[in-house]
Amino acid sequence: MRLLRDALIWFAAIAAASALAFWLGGYATDVYRKMLIWVALALSYNFLFGIAGQVAFSHFAFAGVGAYAIVIFAHQLGLPFGLAFILALALSAALAFVVALPSTRLEGFYLALATLAFSQLVLVVISEGGDLTGGTGGIANYRLPHVFDVTISGPWYTVVLVLLVASTLWMLRRLDRSAFGRACRAIRDNAVAAAAMGIDVRRIKVLAFTLTSTLAGLAGIAYAYIDNVINPPVFGLENIFLLLFMIIVGGAGSHIGAIIGAVFLYLAPFVLEPIVGHGFMVVFGVLVVLTILFQPSGLAGLVNRWPARRAT
Amino acid sequence: MSDLLELVVSATASGSIYALVALAYLLILRPTSIINFAVGEWAATGAFVGVAAQTTLAWPALDGPYWLAVIAVLVCLGALGWLVEALTVRPLIARGANITSPILALLGVLVIFRESLTMLFGADPLPSPPPFGFKRVAFGLFAGVPQQFLIITVTFVLFAAVWLFFERTVWGRAFEAVALNRRAAALMGINLRRVTTFAFVSGAMVAGLAGLLMSPLTSAHYMMGLPLAIQGFTALVIGGVGRVEGALLGGLVLAFVEQLGARYLPIPSGLTLGFPFVLLILFLFLRPSGLMPPREAR
Amino acid sequence: MPLLRSLRGALALALLLTQGAVATAQETVKIGVITDHVASAKFYAEPVTRGVELGAKMINQNGGVLGKKIELIIEDDQNKPDVSAAKARKLVDDGVVAIISNTGSPATQQAQTVSLETKTLHLTPANSADTLTTQLDDPYFFQTGPLASIQLATLMAYTKSRGFKDVAIVRDNSSLSQSFADSFRKGLEKVGIKVALQEVIPQGATSAVANLQKVRAAKVDAILQAGVLGPEMLQFFRAYQQLGMTEPVLGSYNLSIPAYLTMAKDLMDGVVFVDAFDADKPEAKAFTEAYGKEYHEQPSSLPAYGWDGIHLIAQAIEKAGSLDKEKLRAAMASTTNYVGAIGAKGTSWGFRDGKRTGFDPQGAVVRVIKDNQHGPVVFAGQN
Repeated sequence: MRLLRDALIWFAAIAAASALAFWLGGYATDVYRKMLIWVALALSYNFLFGIAGQVAFSHFAFAGVGAYAIVIFAHQLGLPFGLAFILALALSAALAFVVALPSTRLEGFYLALATLAFSQLVLVVISEGGDLTGGTGGIANYRLPHVFDVTISGPWYTVVLVLLVASTLWMLRRLDRSAFGRACRAIRDNAVAAAAMGIDVRRIKVLAFTLTSTLAGLAGIAYAYIDNVINPPVFGLENIFLLLFMIIVGGAGSHIGAIIGAVFLYLAPFVLEPIVGHGFMVVFGVLVVLTILFQPSGLAGLVNRWPARRAT
Repeated sequence: MSDLLELVVSATASGSIYALVALAYLLILRPTSIINFAVGEWAATGAFVGVAAQTTLAWPALDGPYWLAVIAVLVCLGALGWLVEALTVRPLIARGANITSPILALLGVLVIFRESLTMLFGADPLPSPPPFGFKRVAFGLFAGVPQQFLIITVTFVLFAAVWLFFERTVWGRAFEAVALNRRAAALMGINLRRVTTFAFVSGAMVAGLAGLLMSPLTSAHYMMGLPLAIQGFTALVIGGVGRVEGALLGGLVLAFVEQLGARYLPIPSGLTLGFPFVLLILFLFLRPSGLMPPREAR
Repeated sequence: MPLLRSLRGALALALLLTQGAVATAQETVKIGVITDHVASAKFYAEPVTRGVELGAKMINQNGGVLGKKIELIIEDDQNKPDVSAAKARKLVDDGVVAIISNTGSPATQQAQTVSLETKTLHLTPANSADTLTTQLDDPYFFQTGPLASIQLATLMAYTKSRGFKDVAIVRDNSSLSQSFADSFRKGLEKVGIKVALQEVIPQGATSAVANLQKVRAAKVDAILQAGVLGPEMLQFFRAYQQLGMTEPVLGSYNLSIPAYLTMAKDLMDGVVFVDAFDADKPEAKAFTEAYGKEYHEQPSSLPAYGWDGIHLIAQAIEKAGSLDKEKLRAAMASTTNYVGAIGAKGTSWGFRDGKRTGFDPQGAVVRVIKDNQHGPVVFAGQN
């Protein structure tokens, strides 16, 4: 019974989020699509940072790896799309694993710096990659090929993005509730105690990093076909701060929080910018500091508290 | 040969800047375990305060001399460091929050500083007047511009002073005690809150000084903070977070690798941009304690 | 599902605030402008946009287009490519008949996805990257900025008499600078001049001494300065002076940005740079006069690009006789012999033979910096 109810809720949510794609205008669709990418990235980053407790700055770099890999494999090298897709995903996973092996040995914020150095290196490589990566000008003039004689375009691509977010959420929630998720939380709260409980700390850490970074690669692949253009600035340092802020403001460790944070902070500039100009970034900074000081569980904490209070 | 000696001056000056930022990190990191990424923005703030003090853009009659700029930077940055500590770090420590909380809060502070600078001073780089002009000077075979020699002198004097402070004064010993063991230090009657405040105030002052010193070479602009934050931290990791001398050594090593590598290694110039990141990764993985391991508790 | 409700609510709110504000009080011809108010393209995007605004005002004073006033809708993309495409869509939703992109080249590239899809006339009056019209076959996109390849040809023609054989290229690691350096390299190799080395001064560098020592050691005949970032360019000139170098410095039209003159004061004398502006030309004089009246200062050449851009679009609208998108595109594509404020004397814009780059190959000029000012034109064209 409960299973049926859950399935119905999932179905209704996906249907509604997809229906939106057919109702929104050009600009709103564009914003909606890019927001969905941010939501997907925020969900996986929340698992890495909020649940597994790893402060890594490489999430956008892996999105970049995914995006560049699919375009290079499928369009620069002309491989069949299915193969290119698998290769791009495999490359993201392999690279994430290679980075994770040494990085996860690092304590606390040192991980952030090692992964920051890694993402800067990725940027240097794609910016100086000559004709293969298109240099700083990026790559344009490609489009999603036919897969089994089906072309996905217009609002249907938005539906693909909705499914991406839904499957990311579904998978991360299942993981979170499994022994793996509990192990991640245990390590986040106290690695020494977790090890004493018999948890293989290294293995769990590497797995969490590799898995979430691969999901970032997947989001990157999806991003590549939104405007059919990729270029380096999108995968730079600026955005990783914003992603981190989304998780903090939304509520670290909470899936709903990640979604709320991503939606809220992604849309806020579009609303705030005409009013305060570039001042919206100051507003974000203040918001982050205030959240950490006064509402550590973020906006999700407020949401959770509200119905509870009403019930009593 | 003359090329190499010129380069030595240039790399020592750059390394001194990195070292000052590393020192700003270190002063805060040692007693509090907080990595304050905002030091780069504090350096940028120092550069802007210096420019504002010397070239009051609208009223040339009010242009201040260089010593006034130095004082203005130290006072403003000291006050800002105190303010940031009191408003963000102190409440979190008092609450007993996880150590990542203040680090993340300071990332928020970083953004607040950078965007405020953009709004106050605009996005165009502002030229910063050098106190001793820009004519090439030579000391024997070592040639450079006066600003480079000024940077080197101030940095070495400052490092000597900080080293003496930690080694020879009661306050410095208290700092070290807190760095080695917070709880024991508190039991010994050291006021932890005061040490934390002092750490932030002095760290902000050193960062501001770094920005003021480098701005005649690069101009003051809002994008200068983040690269400095990364360069300074890389220097700190190379030198080791345990000792004051490590920051200086790390800064110099980083700058020499960068500039000698760019000059003499036969690889495309574009790829030399990756050097600092490769160094950072190598040290983090292969020698996390840096070149100068912390000394054991005495 | 509170999640979905909040999501849709937020979207509806965004829609309301962004789209709902479009009031159609009286009928106007809407033209969209994408600029950068805050980020790295600001220092050229803002002056160009000011030229667009001035041009629109002048056109409206003279009766507008097709009897209607031009209404500019200006959007800020923060020089972010993904935001630029989103803002282009917003402009299309707002009902603009044409989009002028004054922002960075990667952003203009990504916005083309939108003009191609929505068949909207799209013009960049100042972007100079050669790849903007080659990466994507977008028949609605036109470029009137002086192509890097044309700039280089002019620069080469000017310096040919000096017999340069080996040159160095110095750039920074911004995208604009890289694309300049690339087209410089290709152009140089085509005319048989060897690029001995290419040096990159990265963002955040604290010294360019190592880079310039390498250039000095390579004993080149000239240095092509392809940098665009102010602080890094400043370090180039500092190191150049400190090392006592005398190699001639040749720069792209980026050096026509006036901000460099104050930033690198007293360091740039004798630097040769390409521009597309001859202040003595009658059309340029008319622009300078209008600008002086409006803003009470002498313009640099940058606003002239925007001024020409809006005039070009206005002319295309008049020629098309309607706001039909396909007719507008055809009218713009058939532009020939348009003489604007930009361009050397006796040259004109035109999109001939189906080309979508309209800058006259003979339109670039060479100027020399003297006494911290952009000096007079010393050379024009390619022969």
